[in-house]
Amino acid sequence: MGKEQPQTYWRSLNELAKNEEYRRFAEREFPENATELTDGLSRRNFLQIMGASVALAGFTACRKPVQKILPYTRQPEHIVPGNPLFYASAMPYRGFLSGVLVETHEGRPTKIEGNDRHPDAMGKSGIREQASILDLYDQDRSRRVRKEGQAESYERFVDFCRDHFSDKSQRIAFISEASSSPTLHRLKNQFLSEFEHARWVTWEPFNEEHILEGTRQFSGKRLMPRYSFEKARAALTLDHDFMQEDSASLAYIRDFSTARSVDHGSVPSRLYSVENNYSLTGSNADHRLRIKSTDIPAFTLALAAQLAQKTSGLEAFSDVQNEFSGSEFLTLAAQDLLENRGSSVVSAGAGQPPAVHAIVAAINLALGNQGVTVLYPDNPYIPAENQNQALSSLVQDMDNGAVDTLVLLGTNPVYTAPSGLNFEEAMKKVPVSIQLANHVDETSRNATWHIPKTHFLESWGDGCSFRGVYSVIQPVIQPLFNSKSEIEFLNTLLNAENKAGYDLVRATWKDRLSSFEVQWDEILHDGYQMETSFDVLNPEPEANFTASAQDLITNIRKTPEDAIELIFKPDPKINDGRFANNGWLQELPDPMTKITWDNVALMSPSTAERIGIPPERSFGEFQHPVLRIQNNEGRALEIAAWVLPGHADDSLTIYAGYGRRHIGRVADEIGVSVYPFIHSTEDVQIPEVSVEVTGQRYEIASTQDHHSLEGRPHVREATLEEFRENPGFASEAVYVPGRFGEREHPVSLFADKVFPDHEPQWGMAIDLNACIGCGVCTIACQAENNIPVIGKREVRRGREMHWIRTDRYFSGDERENPKVMHQPVPCMHCDNAPCEQVCPVAATTHSDDGLNQMTYNRCIGTRYCANNCPFKVRRFNFFNYSKEFLTTGDDPEIVQMAMNPDVTVRFRGVMEKCTFCVQRISRAKIDTKNRTGNSIKPEDGSVVTACQQACPANAISFGDISDNESVVTQKKNNDRNYVMLEEMNIRPRTSYLAKIRNPKPAHSDGH
Amino acid sequence: MSQSSDTQKDLLVKGNHDFASVTRLISDIPQQKTPAWWYIAFGISNILLAMLLGMVILLIWNGIGVWGLNQPVGWGWDITNFVWWVGIGHAGTLISAILFLFRQGWRTAINRFAEAMTIFAVMCAGLFPAIHVGRIWAIYWIFPLPNSMQLWPNFNSPLLWDVFAVATYFTVSTLFWYVGLIPDLATMRDKVKGFYSKIAYGVFALGWTGSNRHWQHYEKAYMILAGLATPLVLSVHTIVSFDFAVSIIPGWHTTIFPPYFVAGAVFSGFAMVLTLMIITRKLYHLEDIMTIDHIEKMNIIILVTGNMVGFAYAMEFFIAWYGGVEYEKFAFINRAFGPYAWAYWIMITCNVVAPQFFWVKKFRRHIGLTFFLSIVINIGMWFERFVITVTSLAQDFLPSSWGYFSPTYVDVLTYVGTFGLFFTFFLLFLRFLPMVAISEVKGVMPQADPAYYRNNQKH
Repeated sequence: MGKEQPQTYWRSLNELAKNEEYRRFAEREFPENATELTDGLSRRNFLQIMGASVALAGFTACRKPVQKILPYTRQPEHIVPGNPLFYASAMPYRGFLSGVLVETHEGRPTKIEGNDRHPDAMGKSGIREQASILDLYDQDRSRRVRKEGQAESYERFVDFCRDHFSDKSQRIAFISEASSSPTLHRLKNQFLSEFEHARWVTWEPFNEEHILEGTRQFSGKRLMPRYSFEKARAALTLDHDFMQEDSASLAYIRDFSTARSVDHGSVPSRLYSVENNYSLTGSNADHRLRIKSTDIPAFTLALAAQLAQKTSGLEAFSDVQNEFSGSEFLTLAAQDLLENRGSSVVSAGAGQPPAVHAIVAAINLALGNQGVTVLYPDNPYIPAENQNQALSSLVQDMDNGAVDTLVLLGTNPVYTAPSGLNFEEAMKKVPVSIQLANHVDETSRNATWHIPKTHFLESWGDGCSFRGVYSVIQPVIQPLFNSKSEIEFLNTLLNAENKAGYDLVRATWKDRLSSFEVQWDEILHDGYQMETSFDVLNPEPEANFTASAQDLITNIRKTPEDAIELIFKPDPKINDGRFANNGWLQELPDPMTKITWDNVALMSPSTAERIGIPPERSFGEFQHPVLRIQNNEGRALEIAAWVLPGHADDSLTIYAGYGRRHIGRVADEIGVSVYPFIHSTEDVQIPEVSVEVTGQRYEIASTQDHHSLEGRPHVREATLEEFRENPGFASEAVYVPGRFGEREHPVSLFADKVFPDHEPQWGMAIDLNACIGCGVCTIACQAENNIPVIGKREVRRGREMHWIRTDRYFSGDERENPKVMHQPVPCMHCDNAPCEQVCPVAATTHSDDGLNQMTYNRCIGTRYCANNCPFKVRRFNFFNYSKEFLTTGDDPEIVQMAMNPDVTVRFRGVMEKCTFCVQRISRAKIDTKNRTGNSIKPEDGSVVTACQQACPANAISFGDISDNESVVTQKKNNDRNYVMLEEMNIRPRTSYLAKIRNPKPAHSDGH
Repeated sequence: MSQSSDTQKDLLVKGNHDFASVTRLISDIPQQKTPAWWYIAFGISNILLAMLLGMVILLIWNGIGVWGLNQPVGWGWDITNFVWWVGIGHAGTLISAILFLFRQGWRTAINRFAEAMTIFAVMCAGLFPAIHVGRIWAIYWIFPLPNSMQLWPNFNSPLLWDVFAVATYFTVSTLFWYVGLIPDLATMRDKVKGFYSKIAYGVFALGWTGSNRHWQHYEKAYMILAGLATPLVLSVHTIVSFDFAVSIIPGWHTTIFPPYFVAGAVFSGFAMVLTLMIITRKLYHLEDIMTIDHIEKMNIIILVTGNMVGFAYAMEFFIAWYGGVEYEKFAFINRAFGPYAWAYWIMITCNVVAPQFFWVKKFRRHIGLTFFLSIVINIGMWFERFVITVTSLAQDFLPSSWGYFSPTYVDVLTYVGTFGLFFTFFLLFLRFLPMVAISEVKGVMPQADPAYYRNNQKH
């Protein structure tokens, strides 16, 4: 444990690839396959793949096997080179699918959007969906079947299966990732019935077992609650970061943002958050209580007791008294929950113990929320037993030699399983282990057989969304690396044949559909099966719940006052580590800390002082103190400290998923692995650890050094009361010389026009009341606009290339309990742009339709424009970032396939910035002109910028501001509309809509 | 000794020199054996010059990223060095042109020397705008050359004005210097023994014979060039200051910049002239020509311009407060108390506090102190440029984009390397050209008065 590895930094992926040390350890691990790493996709292969992809789109194939994929909207004969095609598919993540639409250019997928027809995605996507395109083109993915480390062919593996699985009495164990695939479950059930000693464990390191266990204690059934934040007028989250950690985050964000609307007189909902870490959800709460995570059970009890006075069903808790009873926050929250019976939500995070979930379920029932805002879907894919226990007993059996064959589907338990199980040692005692995985990972090195796993864009599959909307996963490209999907792999084990996933999925769906071919085509076209969803259950509390509640009450105690707790959470970006080799995600600043490329120990300023490190850091200080954290069993972890204002005192939070070794050139050596510290599945919350400062320092790259607005009115906000009193507060916040009456702009010395006589005129409005700060806009923009990954060192030097960033400010009590404001900042496209005036070579100019254009070819790189930009949105190619990013490794053709052919790749020494997705504008103009013959004014809504398209909160509007009916004009006519730095008379085209907070008024009785 | 010590005091050339001895004093220097210290200094300068070349190649090969620049701070040491070197150049033109027009006879002892410094300083300065661009291979696009793209440069950009201003300045300064050199080159041609050196000096002397007609033309040309150069003294640094003043960044966007920059330039230029002069007069035994009176006069100019600069610092704060723009207020408070406060207070100490010594006559005439303070002032002026360039950019409007600039070794060595460039040329100048304008010095000697011999005979 700790970071014994040398602290090597690298400027680019290319530099790392050239790094001899990297090569050496890559080779040391697989000496016999050293040449394989250099055996990539040759030009010939590339052409084959391209050819095959075109074939997939409907042309005659020149290569077998031929698979037919239906085009989404166009017949094959309408394929126009240069015009993208869109296919509906779905992305599996932690057991559920999210509906996506894949943009393909000449047969290669380049961009993923949410499927606008899918009822759960509704055209929106999150950072995982957006970044998954880069995972497809990850050169470090496993490319070969390996047997004991040696390259092998899949045919030999099929032969092996035929031989090995003929023994139906062997003790065989499966460990898989969570999945809702009917085909997978069909094959699984077939396995379990054919092999009498077969067992199946679903393993996710940060799973929902505590929730399932909680609902079981409450109702006797293992159920996963699902919340309707749209209908909830008041919501209380207990350590539940539903905006980031949940499988349903996308829908929750959308619902929450909808409920927060203040326009047309609607009353926003109110969010209460109780948590230790300052999460994204907490940052959007109206009332937030920061307490230790291990104190949340006590808080929940006190809440139940408070609610018991006015409701029925919580009598068991009515006598509870603890230090949270009667506290101001609890009283307010309870009052609001009671006022909104049947339209409120209480939810708890997966890290909380089962007891909390049981009490929360009881509270929701008592408040009448169950069945209205809190639903319990009847999800058939939830395993019937506690999988944490199932894993431990399996590992015990493995250790005892009671398992003959171990099959691992996509999981990496050697890395993620609790260290107390000692999975690696147990695995060595299993005679035959077979693993299907994306990368040659920690587990692969111990497996007898390793089979490369396909990306979801390469393989057929199926499954359902968190609500139970079924989709078929439709591939859009041939597998790049001879890999197999889960179902193809399982089918090989079962039937010793190399059957295509297409046939397997169709075989499953034949039984599910009444008129198969017609419906099948519809599902592929639409991306989901109409009118499917899980039934909603209405669980009754168990008869003995009151009795067992007594046990809960006696077991829940406030933690000792002085103890420092340690909480592990899945990383908001790379989750449990599965996306660790994704450069876009690694370089995306964490929404709250703005840290890239690392995990840290988060703590409050007071805790920092207590530990003995400075609670604040000065500018230019990038070296952070390294802590040694030790639990009472002697396990230790060395990790850099990071002070996050608003974090609970006496509490440390560390994100998991980092500290990988020998996985890929992005993931390796980044951060610290926390899994060795997690001894058992309960260890995600450790009530007491000792912390000491080691004296070492560690460099952290964060993209925002200053956290206070310094009283400047860049983000404007008001409470609901203030807003109702003075709706124009936002535009009045700043004195603008010369702005009076109907004048649209500040007075100017020059007789200049607002904008030329040309239609359309493009503009953007960003609703800060909707924005939650997740950062998906950044990734969507990166994917759309070919923005390179530059690496930790360059980010540390303040050279990040993102065209749209999300600024995060602390306000109020900036040290201990601040409020947080998120503000996405793209180029403002000022009408009176300061950048344009100072460029000596006129490389940045204004277009007729109001775009502030950047002509890369003309730019000589004086950086004067960036200096003169008051918003600092311009990005300079200090090195040849794109070239380095796109020529990484031995077969750079692979990552080059991810690039958008509509967007120029920028050269060293030129400036770049947000273009308002000018390529999309041009395409819409051309389409309009083709259709109408003369107009170049696309219909409102037909130009959608990448950031706007992805945003699950619908915070971004874009369109023609010369059109009075357009959505963006209406947004700009909103009372809350304001322009940053309006008094400078630079006339930005991008405006903001002020944020409205809705704290409970102290005197009134609510809304 | 026919002259009393009182009259000696008022003379610009000390030591009872006549025309012939002055000529010998100056023109013998290039003919003497090259002193050992010259070789050592030249060697060090060459090493630094080679290092500069290496750093520039490294920069062009790898990209601007080898410097410490980042997202808010797009200009760092590059532009700091540029403005600093340009500023140093100003003393030369001021001495040669403005003091000429004002008939300040004492300028003759130092003008040649200061003009040479100007030219070499402008060369060092001009290097930075050229290499600071991201794509140096396309830098000719800033010139208004007819081209197939039918594109002009952006005439609104101060950076373009800068190119014109500095290029004009360099051209006029060089011409002015050369025209002034012609009579002395002819003197050299007549004095040197070597065949090739005679040809070399002869070619550049343009056939000067010292005839009345030559002198007439020469005086006219010199006067015209002085007239041309005079506005340049004001315009170059005014336009350099526009690079900042025309922008909208708080701390840059200030109307006081043109006079403030010009005063600062003269301030630093005189300091640099003093630094070089004090060494040179000692090494070449020119104390009779570059006298303590000269040093005192220059110290008075330093005191005046130093206080102008100090006034500008105070005025910036006043206007920031009086103007009531919060960003501007912050920019100045942040300079003094923010992350770069150390640079600000170095600047104040060196530029405002240090010259105050020169109120005292004893200090003005103290060579050691003058030498020390002249270096201090140039350090201060470098920091002034650094403070203006970097602190304004590092913390501007949006606190989210605030950053901090730290130089890399390439930044530092490139700057150090420009001294190599400067001193290589300067040492060559000392070695091969008459470092004092012989003919002009003679013009301010008592002997130049037509009545001198008659009056002296009357004694």
